[in-house]
Amino acid sequence: MKEIRFRLAIILAAIVFSVYLLYPTYVDYQKTKNLNKILDSQKQALLYGNPNITPDQLDKRIKLIEDSIKASDPSYVKARSERIKLGLDLQGGMRVVLEVNTTKLLNKVVKNPDDVFKKVIAESDKEAQVSEESVVDIFARKLAQRGIRMSRYFGSVRDDDSKIISDLKKDADDAVSRAMEIIRNRVDQYGVSEPSIQRQGTRRIIVELPGVAREEEAKQLLQGTALLEFRLLKDPEFTFSVMQKIDNVLSGKSLVDSTKTDSTAAADTNKTKTQLAKTDTSAEQKQKDIEKNHPFFAIAHLLDSQGRSADAAVRGDEREKLTRLLNRPDVQSVIPNNVEFIYSAKPFRNTNDNKDYYTLYLVNKEPELTGGVITNARANIDPQTTSAVVDMEMNSDGAAEWSRITGANIHKRIAIILDGVAFSAPVVQGKIPSGRSQISGMANMEEAKLLEIILKAGALPAPVDIIEERTIGPSLGQDSVNNGLTSMVIGYILVGLFMIFYYRRSGEIAALTLTLIVLFVLGVLAGFGATLTLPGMAGIVLTMGMAVDANVLIYERIREELGTGKTIRASVEGGFTKAMPAILDSNITTFFTGIILYQFGTGPVQGFALTLMIGIITSLFGALVISRVIFDWMVAKGAKISIG
Amino acid sequence: MRIFENLNIDFLGKRKFFYILSSTLFLIGVVNFIFRGFTFGIDFKGGSEYVLEFQKPMSVGQLRPNIENIGLGNVELKSYGSSNAIIIRTELQTVPSTLFPGIVKKINSQIENIYPGVPYQIVDSTAKSVTYSFANPDTTNTMVDKLFRDGFQTSKTTADLTNTKMSVSIGISDIIKTNLKEKLKDNTFKILKEEQVGPKVGGELKRNAVIAIFLSLVMILIYLGFRFKFIFAAGAVVALFHDVLITMGLYAALYNLIPGLNLEIDLTTVAAFLTLIGYSNNDTVIVFDRVREMMKVHKTMPIEEVVNLAINKTLSRTLITSGTSLLTTLVLLIFGGEVIRAFAFTMFFGVIIGTYSSIFVASAIVVEYANKTKKKLSF
Repeated sequence: MKEIRFRLAIILAAIVFSVYLLYPTYVDYQKTKNLNKILDSQKQALLYGNPNITPDQLDKRIKLIEDSIKASDPSYVKARSERIKLGLDLQGGMRVVLEVNTTKLLNKVVKNPDDVFKKVIAESDKEAQVSEESVVDIFARKLAQRGIRMSRYFGSVRDDDSKIISDLKKDADDAVSRAMEIIRNRVDQYGVSEPSIQRQGTRRIIVELPGVAREEEAKQLLQGTALLEFRLLKDPEFTFSVMQKIDNVLSGKSLVDSTKTDSTAAADTNKTKTQLAKTDTSAEQKQKDIEKNHPFFAIAHLLDSQGRSADAAVRGDEREKLTRLLNRPDVQSVIPNNVEFIYSAKPFRNTNDNKDYYTLYLVNKEPELTGGVITNARANIDPQTTSAVVDMEMNSDGAAEWSRITGANIHKRIAIILDGVAFSAPVVQGKIPSGRSQISGMANMEEAKLLEIILKAGALPAPVDIIEERTIGPSLGQDSVNNGLTSMVIGYILVGLFMIFYYRRSGEIAALTLTLIVLFVLGVLAGFGATLTLPGMAGIVLTMGMAVDANVLIYERIREELGTGKTIRASVEGGFTKAMPAILDSNITTFFTGIILYQFGTGPVQGFALTLMIGIITSLFGALVISRVIFDWMVAKGAKISIG
Repeated sequence: MRIFENLNIDFLGKRKFFYILSSTLFLIGVVNFIFRGFTFGIDFKGGSEYVLEFQKPMSVGQLRPNIENIGLGNVELKSYGSSNAIIIRTELQTVPSTLFPGIVKKINSQIENIYPGVPYQIVDSTAKSVTYSFANPDTTNTMVDKLFRDGFQTSKTTADLTNTKMSVSIGISDIIKTNLKEKLKDNTFKILKEEQVGPKVGGELKRNAVIAIFLSLVMILIYLGFRFKFIFAAGAVVALFHDVLITMGLYAALYNLIPGLNLEIDLTTVAAFLTLIGYSNNDTVIVFDRVREMMKVHKTMPIEEVVNLAINKTLSRTLITSGTSLLTTLVLLIFGGEVIRAFAFTMFFGVIIGTYSSIFVASAIVVEYANKTKKKLSF
C-alpha cells in the first residue's frame, strides 16, 4: 500500500504540474475569444456605419482597434507569451531561408578584376548552382587549372593559395554573421513578436516571423543594404532644453514661463530618478503628479541627475508611446529641424525593477560620415586595461574626414547608428589623423564582437538571396487550429468509447489513462517551450490511437493469464510483466524513427516528430505506471476486475 | 467483450496466396510508376505555389482562362479543399524574360500616373528586378511609397539619404496578383498560402528524405538484430520495404483520381512514410516477441507452428490496436482539413498494410528461411 501511495503521489504531481504549465494557454484562449468577440462587434458596427468600406480598409481599421486593445492591457501579451507556442502553420506567418551569395562577395572584394577573372567567376557560379562544393573552392580549382595564383586577385602577393582560400571562406562566414545581425536589428525594430533567426550550416540563415501578413514588407526587412552612420550627439544642455520644451508642450504649459518650470522640472526629474530606485506609497502619489506635470520626463527618465549627460532611459513597453508623442505635430514644432531622437539598439536591464530600458539620444539628422569608408574592424582585448575594445580602420578619404570630425569634436560624443538605431555612443578622446580608431567602453567581448559586425555591415553589405520562402495566411492557420482541435476531441471520444465498450471496467482505466496522456503531452510541450504544429496535432491524434496499444497488450495478457486459472492478483502481475518486453521493443524502434524524423524534418514535420516522441514516452508512463497503480490498488482493495 | 478467442487459423499455410497478393499489389505499383510516375510537390521539385481564396465561388475552369494567357507558361491549377480556394502552381522560379517588357511598361505608366512628366531612367534590369533612377531623393522616396501601395514591390537601392535609385522586384506572385486583380475585379481574393522553393533546396530535401528513410530502416535492422536473431530483423525490414514500396505504388496509381485528395510526394508524405515504418515495425515486433517467447516454451515444435501460434495469440491485440489506430487516422482524414489529408490517407493505408505485412511478410520470411536452411532457430 505504501508503495502505491508513493507512485500515486508522483502521478498526482505530474498532473498538477501539467495543469500549471497549461494554465497560461487556457487564459490566452479565453482572452483571444473575448478579443475576437469585441472585434467582431466592432466590425459589424463599422460595416453598418460605412457599408461601402473595402475589405482592405476594414481589415486595417480592425487591426488598429486590436492593437490599441492589446496595448492598453498588457495581460494579453503576457498570456500570449506563456501559452503553448504555435507553429507558423497554425498562427500564420512567414519563413524565409536566406543564403549568402558568395559569388557576389568575391566580386566585391576582388582587387583587380580582369576579363579572365570575370570569365572564371561566371563559370564557377554556374557550377556552384548544381554542386555542393563552395564557390571559393571551385574558383580556386579553376584558377589552378589555368596556372594562375589566387594572389593575383585576392590577398597580398606573399600569401599562398591555401591561406587566401581560408581567408575568403572566413569572409563568407563573416558575411553570414553580418547578415544575421542586420536582419535581427531590423526585425527587432519592426516589432515582430517571437521572431526566430537561426543559422543553418555555414551559409544559410532561417528567419521565421510569426504573424507577419504583409510578406512584401517582411522581404524588405530581409534584403537590401544596411546604412551605417556616424552622427554627432547633441551636448547635454542643448538636449535638456529640447526635452524641457517637449515636456512643456505635452503638459500643456505655455512656453513663456520656461525659466520657472526649469528648476522644478529638474527637481522633479530627480524624483523620477529615485522613483526608479524604490517604490513606496507616497512615491506613487508623486509619480502621478510627475506624470501629470511632466509627461515627457515620466517616460524618459534622465540617467544622470547631475546633468553631465542627457541620456534618458525609456522602458521597453513605453517606447511606442513615446514615439507617438514625439511624432505629434505640436511636439515636432519645438524640436529643431536638424536633430532627431533615436533609441539604442539593445536595451539594458534595470536591476531595480528588472525591466528592460532603451537609451534615448538626441543626435544630428545629418551624418558626419557613413559606413562605406570603413575598411576593417576587429574586436580586441586592450592589453593595458584588459577591457574589450574595437579597432577600426578607414580608407584614405574616410581618414581625412574622420581627422577633421574628431579634431573639431574632442570630448563630444559620436553615435554609431545602423538602420536608425544606435549601437554605441563613444566620446571622442582626441583627434584621430590616420583613421585607425579604437572604441572602448564595451562591457564584454560579446558586445565588442557585435560592434565589430555592425561596423563591418556598413563597409561590406552581406549579399543574401532568398532561396526558400513559405507564407501562411492567418485565416488558413485558424482553420488548421480548428481542424486539429476537432480531430483531437473526436479521436479521443471514439477511442475512449471503444476501449470502455470492449474492456468494460479495465477500458475505463485505459480511457482515464488516455486523458492523462493527452494532458501530459500538452504539458510537456508547454513546459519545454516546444512548438505545436498541425502535423503535431495529427501526431497527438495518432498517439491516442497507438497509446492504447500498451493497455491492449497488457489486458490481452491478463485475459490469457486468467484463462489458465490463475488468481486475479497473479494474473495482473503476470500480464504486466509478460507484456513488458513487447511494449518496450516496439516503442523503442518507433522512438528511433521519431528521432530521425526530427533530424530530417523542418518546421511542421519536426512538430510531428516531437509530439510522436513525447507521446511514446507519456503513453509508456500511462500504461506502465498509471494503469498499473490503479490495478494494484484495485487488487489490494480486493475489488472485482472486469476485463470485458 | 471478446471477439477473438482461442483462434487457431493457419495463416502461414496460406502464405503462397498472400505472396501472390503482395506481388500483384507491388506490380500494380510498378506499372503505375512506369506509366504515370510520381508527382512531386514543390518541396522536392522546386517552384512556386500560391493558394488563393476567392470571396465568391470560383472554379478551376473559370480561373484557367484568366491565368493561362498571362505568359507564365505551364501553370497548374487545382481546387483546394471544398471552399473557394484554388492552388496555382508553376515550376518557374523567376519571371520569363518575354514578360518583362509588359511589366516595365506597366510600371512606367504607373510612374506617369503619379507624377506626370517626371524624368526617370532605367539604369539596371536583372532577372528579378528593374532599377529606376530619378532626379532627386525626394521623388525617389515618394515613388517607392506610392508604387508600393499600388502593389509593386519597390525598395530604395541603398538606405543612403542621397539615394535616387529605386528597384522594383518582379516575382511570379506579383504577376499573378496584378493580373488577377485586373481581370477579376468583381471577385476579390486573398492569399492563404505562398511557397517558393529553390531548385537547390528541393534537391537537398529530396536527398535528405531518402537518407532519412534508409537510415531508419538500417537503425531498425541493427536494433532488432541485437534484440532478436538476425533473420527476424531481416524479415521485419523486408516487410517495411514492402510497405513503403506498395504505398508509393498507391501514390502513383491514385494520383489525381480521388477529388480533394492531393497525392503528391512532399515533406509531409515522407513524414507519413516514416511514421508508417514505425507503426508497421511496432506490429511486427509484437508478433516476433511472442514467437521468441513461444520458442522458449515449445522447444520441439516446428517453427511454422510456433509462428502460427504466436500470430493467433497476438491476433486479438493486433486487430484492436489496428482498429483504434484506423479510427484515429479516419478522424484525421475526415476532420483534419486539407493540409494533412494526404498524410492521414497515407497513414490510414499504412496501418492496414503494416498490419498485413507483419503477419504475411515478416513472419513468412522467417519461416521460409528456417525451412530452407533446415536450421533450428533458437534463442
